[in-house]
Amino acid sequence: MNAATPDAGVATTPASWPIRLENVTVTYPNGTTALRDVSLEIAAGEMVSIVGLSGSGKSTLIRTINGLVPATSGTVTVGPHTVTGLRGRGLRRMRGHIGMIFQGFNLAERVDVYRNVLVGRFAHTPTIRTLTGIPTARDRELALRTLDSVGMLDKLWARAGALSGGQKQRVAIARALAQEPSVMLADEPVASLDPPTAHSVMHELQRINAEQGLTVLVNLHLMDLARQYTTRMIGIRAGEIVHDGPAGDATDADFERIYGRSIQPHDRLGTAT
Amino acid sequence: MPLEAPTRPRTWRRTALVVLAVAAFTVATCIPAIGGVELDFAAIAKNWRFGAEKIGQLMQPDWTFLPRTLQPMLETLQMALVAAVASAIVSVPLTLWAARPTNPNGITRRLVRGVINVIRAVPDLVYATVLVAVIGVGALPGVITLFLFNLGIVVKLVSEAIDSADHAYLEAGRAAGGTQTQLNRVTARPQSMPLYANQWLYALELNVRVSAILGIVGAGGIGRLLDERRGFYAYDDVGLVILEILVVVIVIEVFSNLLRRRLV
Repeated sequence: MNAATPDAGVATTPASWPIRLENVTVTYPNGTTALRDVSLEIAAGEMVSIVGLSGSGKSTLIRTINGLVPATSGTVTVGPHTVTGLRGRGLRRMRGHIGMIFQGFNLAERVDVYRNVLVGRFAHTPTIRTLTGIPTARDRELALRTLDSVGMLDKLWARAGALSGGQKQRVAIARALAQEPSVMLADEPVASLDPPTAHSVMHELQRINAEQGLTVLVNLHLMDLARQYTTRMIGIRAGEIVHDGPAGDATDADFERIYGRSIQPHDRLGTAT
Repeated sequence: MPLEAPTRPRTWRRTALVVLAVAAFTVATCIPAIGGVELDFAAIAKNWRFGAEKIGQLMQPDWTFLPRTLQPMLETLQMALVAAVASAIVSVPLTLWAARPTNPNGITRRLVRGVINVIRAVPDLVYATVLVAVIGVGALPGVITLFLFNLGIVVKLVSEAIDSADHAYLEAGRAAGGTQTQLNRVTARPQSMPLYANQWLYALELNVRVSAILGIVGAGGIGRLLDERRGFYAYDDVGLVILEILVVVIVIEVFSNLLRRRLV
């Protein structure tokens, strides 16, 4: 194993990692520039929202952190790892410490909840063992524990496709937690959910941040969710950071600047029931 | 006041042009003067009597021949099943290696696709003829021929289906630091199971029909009997064998539909 990682040997609470972007630019092969010279520093244990309209570059930003989208230029550093430049085994090992949840949940729908959660153990499991289909006792224990923590243990043997949207996102959170991550990324985690379910998933992320001190980075396009659940808000527009400050203090004018237009009713989700 | 609908874009000109082009090209391929194929329809009028007698015999199957067909039919079914199952097993990894989402490595993907295309390019009768020469008359050359034939079909069709499907779960696996093999084993293979099952069952049905032809070169099964009776101009017996093949194919199809409904 990688002895340099600070969480080596610590079984219960892995160390939380800071994130640093230095002059990061991302240009896609089709010529679109999604991020322009973005520099950003996030301390370990922060709960940060990235707010912007769709197409603003927030999805790209979050994906440069685990290398799903490679930075065209600039440097991305997560904990002890320099993401830019990592490839193959090194990249996979680093990703093993970064949990991620998605707008579309990204579960294997025909596979049971148990095996979907074990996907979170891939980076910590030799490929040969995965091929046998038999997880270690510790991986099994982790899968059960994380499922229990999101209240989904009773669905262990259900097919992921048979669950409701909120249940799927909980399983996806359990999958990310099973990695024993040092950073948690969430790309529009509640955009496919109804308002009460959206609030409960945001609560879950808040709880993970509070209880484990995990660095959480969440992409949102709704202003009230950003204000209510996160402590720091970064506004992004056309690939550039246009706002950075405490989420609670963000005014409507700040949001109008981020969105580049006046606030509309659908920019808010509404309160929880 | 009635709503004013936006003007519908007119595409009939282009449609007519395409239809005209296809029609003209098809007609042109039937004109020998410019290198087309020669289709001698007059020959039908001249010779139809010779064929009519055979068709008449085919339509009157000789049921007393039935007992002699059972053993070869059973052999055909066994060959079809063994080949289908063996190719199903081998097709699982090959298909995942041949599809882009489950094998991003261009070199190995093209290699597997190339091998499959070579396997598909060789006609099944050629496999059977060569294998009969190497192994001898019997069921084994037939089984190997069907195996290769099935492998080509399943790997090509399923890998193309995987290519065109959406695989969001793979992004999650990649984000968690999994290797492609881990992702394929735990997520992509079970996700692709309905695609596989469709083609496996189709291959089984195809095998029964193809083995009727393979018998001509001595590769076992009902085909050998069919060829023998045809050689003796016993078209009433041939008619019975064809009827039997039809029944077996229908039975397999009914069975496949039942299975498919449960699998999806």
